[in-house]
Amino acid sequence: MPHSEHIVSGFDRDLEGIQAQIMRMGGLVEEAIAKATEALETRDLELARAVRAGDKAIDALDEQVNDEAARVIAQRQPIASDLRTVLTVFRISTNLERIGDYAKNIAKRTETIIDQPPVNGTGASLRRMARQVELMLKDALDAYIQRNADLAADVRARDRDVDQMYSALFREYLTFMLEDPRNITTCMHLHFMAKNIERMGDHVTSIAEQVIYLVTGDMPDDDRPKEDSTPHDAGLKG
Amino acid sequence: MNDMRVTERTVTDKEIKMKARKVQVFYGDNHAIKDVDVDIEDKTVTAFIGPSGCGKSTFLRCLNRMNDTIDICRVEGDIQLDGEDIYDPKVDPVQLRAKVGMVFQKPNPFPKSIYDNVAYGPRIHGLARSKSELDEIVEKSLRRAAIWDEVKDRLDAPGTGLSGGQQQRLCIARAVATSPEVLLMDEPCSALDPIATAQVEELIDELRERFSVVIVTHSMQQAARVSQKTAFFHLGNLVEFGETSKIFTNPDDPRTESYITGRIG
Repeated sequence: MPHSEHIVSGFDRDLEGIQAQIMRMGGLVEEAIAKATEALETRDLELARAVRAGDKAIDALDEQVNDEAARVIAQRQPIASDLRTVLTVFRISTNLERIGDYAKNIAKRTETIIDQPPVNGTGASLRRMARQVELMLKDALDAYIQRNADLAADVRARDRDVDQMYSALFREYLTFMLEDPRNITTCMHLHFMAKNIERMGDHVTSIAEQVIYLVTGDMPDDDRPKEDSTPHDAGLKG
Repeated sequence: MNDMRVTERTVTDKEIKMKARKVQVFYGDNHAIKDVDVDIEDKTVTAFIGPSGCGKSTFLRCLNRMNDTIDICRVEGDIQLDGEDIYDPKVDPVQLRAKVGMVFQKPNPFPKSIYDNVAYGPRIHGLARSKSELDEIVEKSLRRAAIWDEVKDRLDAPGTGLSGGQQQRLCIARAVATSPEVLLMDEPCSALDPIATAQVEELIDELRERFSVVIVTHSMQQAARVSQKTAFFHLGNLVEFGETSKIFTNPDDPRTESYITGRIG
């Protein structure tokens, strides 16, 4: 099974090589999430710029993973669990790359609002939310390396908390904007950051689902509980 | 294993053409096939895969009684074609082999003309009443084997003068000339180049519209490409039998997984 070795040892080296790249990407993405929101909370322009610059490395790894995985398909014709490994590598790499983009976007918006006065502790709330996503990502990648479908299912369930945090922040920003129109520019940016983190959570969930597929051969088909109520939030009524 | 059979029964709507139950094969003291149950569906390609010596060819040869020709070989159990026991003493093996045709690993045309290679079966089975009817069968068979255009102007030339891929398609034309209901193929492409292999695989897909094809192959990719059902044999046992798409994406048995992914199993 996945832990025993191929007769052609080069095949094992190929698969291990790609998975090592995924883990490297995962490490960079975790760091980007943490640093982007730290830069926001501490108003650290240099750190925000470093996050933006760092996204290039994540994009480059994504490209490398795709090239390598395509080569493995062409040269080794993977089937069964090997096929699932290669298919999930493609998707997980794409998910990580997108999470990196969201972190980069947070850094950009941080640079824009860096001179604005902070809006009442919301930087800390965003950082907590990002921390939650970062931990989910760490567990999703651990689940991937350990081929642990239970841990992946747990990660998938935890996205609910992220959705709840986002809904709460959405209402908070709305209130601040209603209270004082001078908050609008900052709150619009903060809201997009919150939305970015919420989307990161969805990509982590997608990674967790790939792990479940990798281990079991089936995608989870039950409906995941969702707690993002903002699509129904009419807000400014009356 | 049993669960899989249940689900298969629910997804399949094809008739069962051949049915094997508790089949045992002995070569002297060697128990080569152990308790094999298989249903071969009509108008379906079934692939037999497994490491060398696992019994897949032996089992294939049971399906048209080719093992009868080996003195020390003994077959037990029940094998039916359309519900009739093919090992019944009343069954004439020669008639059986007209219904259950065979193509071998190495192309083996008779040392006769291309025409006579194909006409041989219909002649001995009296399938043509006139020369023109025989001509028709020969042309139709060569067309079905996708070789007509290449040989139509030299039907009198010896079959042995053709290229390897052409010889194999000639052998397939010879096998289909008796209008078989099942075609057994024992590694039909192992001596062919990729182009001839692709031609034979295309042919197998066309033949499936008319009858069942059972193919033994060592190429996992070939089994995945041409078959709808796959049976994995290991040490004389049928380890796993099911939909090809399932076997090659998510097999149930770890031995199947190890074998098809090229791991030491």
